[in-house]
Amino acid sequence: MGIQEQYRSEAAALLSSGEVKLVIGFGEGSTADRRRPLFARTPEEAQKFVLDAACIANLSTYLVTEGLLSDGKKVAVFLKPDGIRSVNILISEAQLKPDQVVILGYAIDKAEITALEGRNISDFSLGEEIRSHTPPPHILQEAERIEEMNPAERFEFWKAHFSKCIKCYACRQVCPMCYCRRCIVDVNQPQWVSTSSHTLGNFEWNIVRAFHLAGRCAACGACDRACPVNIPLRLVNYRMGKEVIDAFDYCAGENSSQKPVLASFKQDDPETFIL
Amino acid sequence: MTRILLRNKLDDCIAAWQKAGFSVFAPVRQHEMSSFGEVQKASDMAFDLVLPERTIKDHFFPQTEPLIKYKIGKQQIDSETMTPPDRKRVFFGVRPCDASGLAIDDPLFGWDYKDDYWFRRRDNSVIVTIVCTEADDFCMCTSVKLSPESDKGADVMLRPLANGAGWQVEAVSERGTALLETIPSLLQENSEPTAPVPQVAEKFDLEKVMEWLASKENFESQFWKDISLRCVGCGSCTFLCPTCHCFDIQDEGDTYAGIRRKNWDSCSFSLFTMHTSGHNPRNTQSTRWRQRIMHKFNYYRGKFGVNSCSGCGRCTRQCPVDMGITETLQAISNLPR
Ligand code: SF4
Ligand code: SF4
Ligand code: SF4
Ligand code: SF4
Repeated sequence: MGIQEQYRSEAAALLSSGEVKLVIGFGEGSTADRRRPLFARTPEEAQKFVLDAACIANLSTYLVTEGLLSDGKKVAVFLKPDGIRSVNILISEAQLKPDQVVILGYAIDKAEITALEGRNISDFSLGEEIRSHTPPPHILQEAERIEEMNPAERFEFWKAHFSKCIKCYACRQVCPMCYCRRCIVDVNQPQWVSTSSHTLGNFEWNIVRAFHLAGRCAACGACDRACPVNIPLRLVNYRMGKEVIDAFDYCAGENSSQKPVLASFKQDDPETFIL
Repeated sequence: MTRILLRNKLDDCIAAWQKAGFSVFAPVRQHEMSSFGEVQKASDMAFDLVLPERTIKDHFFPQTEPLIKYKIGKQQIDSETMTPPDRKRVFFGVRPCDASGLAIDDPLFGWDYKDDYWFRRRDNSVIVTIVCTEADDFCMCTSVKLSPESDKGADVMLRPLANGAGWQVEAVSERGTALLETIPSLLQENSEPTAPVPQVAEKFDLEKVMEWLASKENFESQFWKDISLRCVGCGSCTFLCPTCHCFDIQDEGDTYAGIRRKNWDSCSFSLFTMHTSGHNPRNTQSTRWRQRIMHKFNYYRGKFGVNSCSGCGRCTRQCPVDMGITETLQAISNLPR
């Protein structure tokens, strides 16, 4: 039995036994190469699930949908390691209760897809894997190219990209870690951050987001894929992630009992920047 | 016999238009994105695109636009209207759906109040469309009763020659005729055949869709909740749509001086309808998605006699979760009656 059939029947069983109220997975998309999120509430609907190497979206973002888990019931979700990592971060930030999420895990390696053992978040230990994981070579090359620039060149690079931003907030909306019910840029009594999408406003927005994701990003790439104007957000995430590892020896989402790095402190934290 | 413009005359053509006082815009690829940008020569243009990612709307209704500058003093308030420059522009290589988008929005911007910011640009721009020779999986102009060779919104329409050497040229408005008068020596009589227009299959039955939307009992249908479950509520589909036109007015500055701006806004955002009290009449994504569909295929038609969609397909092409209006309208069209 292939993984798709296995997970279809497992999803159907979870729904018919009443263990979960909903299964979030993938269905066919509008073209042969697209997959789209599919929500199954009945065993019949679960038969529509598709699971193959084209299922790259991080579905954990739907777990923080307002009100979804407030009834205490369980939800099952198809996740690959970056999604599981996201769930770890969400639990460590008290946004999810571990026992409300049933994980139907899978991994994609080149075009191969395999099922992951375990159903509860505590069954997965990602620590080593995340730490030793190197981003794909194209990200590393791009990142290196930017590191080699002088500050003026680097500023021009980002200016060219950020001036394209249209503040559609797709990057935020697809990100599991952007769960704030009211994002700071939407706080408008008064309007703290200007809504204007001119180059300065776009810098403001992208920098605010980069800072708010520092030490919290699961490197799933959802924001990068969602951006309709192709801003290389992967490079922002990569650099911020690296910064946090170097400064605090902290890698977000290794497990769910971590203390969020920028929301906790140690007595012996260096205070080099405080006079 | 018809007139043609050869591709190798395009540089001269751009120069002639510039000499006549026009800035020339065309599809370009810049910084990993395709859009309309100013060009100096033919090689700046990206001709191989089915459609640029960004729409031509950006150049008539920009994402952020200064309206007035203000200064509040002890005795008086000074303000200065910041009308857009009325420079003359040629938009070359516009696809019929994008040109239609402009025509669809004209009545909106000129209805009870004539929006100077839109019309100054409209009145000073000449739209040169190129009939499509290629369509992708998302194109749906025929479903909304337009076509890859529609001349709606165009001033000049070009049909690619089958041999790829240039375009057959036809003025379809007075403005277009006037534009061609600036390049008489660059056009030549010729009877080369034109390239075939792609067959774009109709994806849904528009009449059926409009009828269903018009029926009041469907407003609260479970259909809206089911179809919009995966929508994450970003502004991608509205901001990339050639006809979406919602905006917000914001004052940027402090209590004493600043700039009042007109910024794109989107019905997909929960903040769009949020009242000061905190009450939100459209407090779920399904009600917001319903608004987008109803506005385009019911309310707009009721007011202006035309649907607010030109079938460009961008909303599906660019949606991060593979939604878009095509799927919804198909589903409505297929509902059991
Ligand atoms: S910031 Fe981007 S890459 Fe990081 S978790 Fe959010 S969506 Fe994924
Ligand atoms: S997805 Fe891209 S265009 Fe949209 S707000 Fe984010 S960075 Fe800007
Ligand atoms: S349909 Fe897609 S592009 Fe439009 S708001 Fe929803 S998620 Fe964003
Ligand atoms: S609704 Fe979609 S298909 Fe219609 S004009 Fe807008 S982006 Fe294009």
